[in-house]
Amino acid sequence: MQYPLRKAFHGLLLVLGVTFISFVLMVWFGPDQTYTLLGKNATAEQIAEVRHELGYDQPFLRRYLDYVADLFTLRLGASNASGEQVSRILARTAPVSLALMLPGFVLGNLMGIALGLAAARRRGQWTDRLISGLSVTGMSISFLVIIIALQVLLSTPYGLNLFPVRGWQVTDLPSYLWHVTVPTLSLVLVTLGYNTRFYRAVFVEEASRDHIRTARAFGASPAVLMWKHVLKNSLVPIITRVMFSIPLVVISGSLLIESYFGIPGVGKVAFDAITSGDQPVLKAVVGLTAVAFVLIQIATDLLYRLVDPRVA
Amino acid sequence: MSRVWTNRRFFWQPVALLAVALAVAGCKPEPERNDGPATDRIYRHAMDGAPSSLDPAHASNIYANFLAVNLYDTLYRYKYLARPYRLEPNLAEGLPQVSADGLIYTIRIKPGVYFVDDPAFPEGQGRAVRAADFIYSIKRHFDPATRSQGAWLWQGRIVGLDEWKDNGADYDEEVPGLRALDDRTIQIQLIAPFPQLTHTLAQGYSAVVPREAVVAYGQEFAVRPVGSGPFRLQSFHSSGAVLIRNQGFRREPFSLEAEGFDPALQEELGLEALADRAPPFADRIEVEFIAEDAARWNAFIAGELDFIKVPVSQFDQVLATRDPPTLLPELAQRYRLGASLESGFVHTDFNMDDRRIGYHPDPDQQARNRALRCAIIKAFDWPKRNEVFYYGIGKVFPGIIPPLTAEFDAHGDSSPVRRDLDGARDLLSRNGWHGGNLPVLEYGFPSSVTERQMFEQFRSFMADIGYPAEKIRPLTYATYGDYARAYLNREVMLTTTGWTMDYPDAENTMQLFFGPNASPGTNSANYDNEEFNRLYRASASMQPSPMRTAMYRNMNRMVIDDCVTISGISRTMILLWKRDRAMLPDRSFVGGFFFRFADPGPSGSEAE
Amino acid sequence: MEPEGRIWRRLREDRAGLAGLAVVSLFLMLALAVWLGLIGQDWSIAAGGRWEPPSPQHWFGTNILGQDIFQRAVYSVRTAFEVGLVVAVLSTLLGALLGALAGWYSHGWPDGAILWLMGVLDSIPFYLFVAAVAYALQGQPWAMHVAMIATFWTGTSRLVRAEVMKLKTREFVMAARTIGLPDLLILGRHVLPNTVHILLVQASIAFVAAIKTEVILSFLGLGVQDGVSWGLMLAESTQEVLAGHFNNFLAASLMLFVLLMSFNLLADALQDAFDPTFDPKQAAQ
Repeated sequence: MQYPLRKAFHGLLLVLGVTFISFVLMVWFGPDQTYTLLGKNATAEQIAEVRHELGYDQPFLRRYLDYVADLFTLRLGASNASGEQVSRILARTAPVSLALMLPGFVLGNLMGIALGLAAARRRGQWTDRLISGLSVTGMSISFLVIIIALQVLLSTPYGLNLFPVRGWQVTDLPSYLWHVTVPTLSLVLVTLGYNTRFYRAVFVEEASRDHIRTARAFGASPAVLMWKHVLKNSLVPIITRVMFSIPLVVISGSLLIESYFGIPGVGKVAFDAITSGDQPVLKAVVGLTAVAFVLIQIATDLLYRLVDPRVA
Repeated sequence: MSRVWTNRRFFWQPVALLAVALAVAGCKPEPERNDGPATDRIYRHAMDGAPSSLDPAHASNIYANFLAVNLYDTLYRYKYLARPYRLEPNLAEGLPQVSADGLIYTIRIKPGVYFVDDPAFPEGQGRAVRAADFIYSIKRHFDPATRSQGAWLWQGRIVGLDEWKDNGADYDEEVPGLRALDDRTIQIQLIAPFPQLTHTLAQGYSAVVPREAVVAYGQEFAVRPVGSGPFRLQSFHSSGAVLIRNQGFRREPFSLEAEGFDPALQEELGLEALADRAPPFADRIEVEFIAEDAARWNAFIAGELDFIKVPVSQFDQVLATRDPPTLLPELAQRYRLGASLESGFVHTDFNMDDRRIGYHPDPDQQARNRALRCAIIKAFDWPKRNEVFYYGIGKVFPGIIPPLTAEFDAHGDSSPVRRDLDGARDLLSRNGWHGGNLPVLEYGFPSSVTERQMFEQFRSFMADIGYPAEKIRPLTYATYGDYARAYLNREVMLTTTGWTMDYPDAENTMQLFFGPNASPGTNSANYDNEEFNRLYRASASMQPSPMRTAMYRNMNRMVIDDCVTISGISRTMILLWKRDRAMLPDRSFVGGFFFRFADPGPSGSEAE
Repeated sequence: MEPEGRIWRRLREDRAGLAGLAVVSLFLMLALAVWLGLIGQDWSIAAGGRWEPPSPQHWFGTNILGQDIFQRAVYSVRTAFEVGLVVAVLSTLLGALLGALAGWYSHGWPDGAILWLMGVLDSIPFYLFVAAVAYALQGQPWAMHVAMIATFWTGTSRLVRAEVMKLKTREFVMAARTIGLPDLLILGRHVLPNTVHILLVQASIAFVAAIKTEVILSFLGLGVQDGVSWGLMLAESTQEVLAGHFNNFLAASLMLFVLLMSFNLLADALQDAFDPTFDPKQAAQ
């Protein structure tokens, strides 16, 4: 019982740390939303009023404590810019982000595992060299370049012109597939290089272990060998990687894709909130992301222990 | 063996879970598009930006104004077809009755106008719109809790309104200058004559909102509009909105004549067929907010949109000739073109408050500063700016009276905007300016590709008179809000802004240089000229007239001579719409009011 | 054979790595040439017409303002190296310092604090954090660098911490402690130098990451403010490509790709060379 408690305590410290740092950065130093909310010909008096309404004139500690209290009671408030309830914004945009990023994320990892396996199996041969070479190439292309190139090649008259340039008019499966293809392709192309190389390294490491060599010596066929033993014994690093890349790929990556393709998801909402200084939205997104990250860490730990009893 | 089984399960289970989540998330239908019967007549519009809010009190950008005037009623609007723009009663029965001293306006509103049904009303039934609703809507702007952005229109103008705010903004308290004489009569009493008052009543800010809904929804009112306009809201999010016809909207047959139809200019539009039908002509309006030019253009060319304001980067692919603009033949078969000047202009102000370039306690230095400013203005290459960023079809003009206004002097002296490198160098040398002692110019702009390019172009213009490149520095801001904060706090030396006029009256641009309007007001140049201020005050209560025009031109001359601003250019917008849609779209003052007259044709919109 | 000789031999035999090194050196010299004012100085001069095709005067044509795209791409090499080197060196040093402290005093409060800090920084979505820091330091030319350093150090720090924890148990360290040498001296003189292989690899990875991040940041408007970089060129090109003008895009992405690819190959070669379990003969099969 002590272990989960300790974990929870560490998690709490983490969440507090994240909220504090993000509060300092985004709320204290961040953009002053007053000026976007003012009308023309504002008087100094009106400015003071708006600032008061937005809560800018309160002392630092008071604002921070209010923030933490709001977060833990899930009193998220409403956006200063549009007036919509933050909870409603999140409920509306989170599924979109998920639906957008999940196919690419899953595909990128599955393909990475498959390619990594193929490369590790034929280590040193031309298959391996080809796959490794392609991985490095993939790692050397900027995300932005891929997005622009794919957009031109697939969505404009200069290329195939098969997919929408932007937008998210999703009502059923065909329109979903139509809108999600280019973003998914972008995501896969960007992450595949890194994934393949990582998984290849993991499998190579595992394949060189003693028990594998022993099984080989006993005459088990190569394919069975790879699949059964190497894969399942590599689960720990695979899970670590997948879990820990969720914040990076799904949340940060979604920000770029959503901005570029004009998809109304959490990433875009968060980025708009940062640039305009819309604090309620910002606080909610950052706070909840931190909590989600902590939960992911705990979940990863539990998965470890279920998969590999050796891990304490 | 049991470990193998456990491991396989735990590898595939998460994958399976992910797959299920994917399927569920993917197949979940978005409850937005409620495609009505196939005979729904749909008009598909695209705006190059998103509305700030659907609450009239926050309708601060042109996109919000577009939607607000369709969801709500304003007392007045502009005639659909008349150019130049003329006011037309909307919710009001006629133009206001104005007392002889110009202080008392009496307006009657039409009978039989109802708010849409909404749970905020008792039993969910929309009730009749009353004069008291208009009173409430204006009062709301002066309630600090509303955080209104439109209060400035009536600030210090209506008797008792500012005091009402200071007294605690109690809605049950009457404001002497804003009274409902009965259910349908409004009386407004002004502190001083305000000839543009009626124009302010055609703005989205002045739209009539029901108190019940504001109280019921609080901040959410901004996304849950309850109005009496020709449309009601079906859905709204960050990339689009859907409006559907308000079945209870008052029936007012469309009269070509009343709307200012000009057969000579407008006869091919197919509008005659619409005569005597009651707007709104469309059953649904789908508005997309597409800021990215390329995305918007592609959607239009693919047939997904009925209307587009063509992005400048595409003018090459669209126009056969520039002056006057005409379409390429293959496009002319499918689309119609409308070319119109924007209702505003773009200019770069010097911050007169900054001693390095503006006012200075030492008269000699002040004169030298003026010479420097004038030299910079002379070195500015307007034709090149026009060519690169506005495709050469923008209209460059001297001073601050834009071409769209009645006071514009088409035959005026255009030398202030003609490039004069010799004159500029001469000014610099005669006033002792040289590469060594020139001040560092801080050119402020919000961070974006186009703005940065404009800055680099400015720098290259200045290089031609010997201004060292290191002495022209970019002052970038991550967002427009930050930029606004900076220049409203007088921190920016050169401020480039575009001003969109609130009404078609040059008073709206004259006030940009009125001393008391200095930052944080609209006078970003912080210009303070006694004579200019005097003339402004004298002309403030005058109706448009030749005498007032003469005064404005005089004031314009002062601004030009004092070299306060590098001004200006009005952009020409190229609007395209599908041939079979009978309409005359407008982005200026008619703006959102044209939606009710947009006719999608007999069988709705089809993708081509 | 002594370890250093083996490392050099491996490096020399890795042809891809050598090619990478050659190209990187070429780019470095380009950057120095720009910095010294020898080439690429005309990047902001609007010499030509709008969107001119490639010609003898303008090898890659011009952009919308008439600026020479090739000059801009070459000047961007300097920007890239500035950003890359500053971020790589500083983030690696910071990571080494904090990682060493954490590893040395592991299970003590410095370790806990530094681990907590790393966890916090890793929990904030990367671009949100960088955007926020760029805002907070708005107007400062170093905003972008600070933002990147503040996040990149965690990777190095983790590896250094693990390595220091391992090294702590080695005989020479224990011997030094027994003698009574001060902790910081042991760390600085004996332990950290043994992490150099990690630092070199991490620095090269950080260099690549920094350049890639700068591209995205400049696109978002938070990166380079004055001057030109591949990120700014790509941002410009997003509008242009949809009107059919590809020169800006091609020039920037090509040079970016070549530099990144070379650096990645070099980083790989370094990593392989330092890896004690790596068997070049097996890899070459």
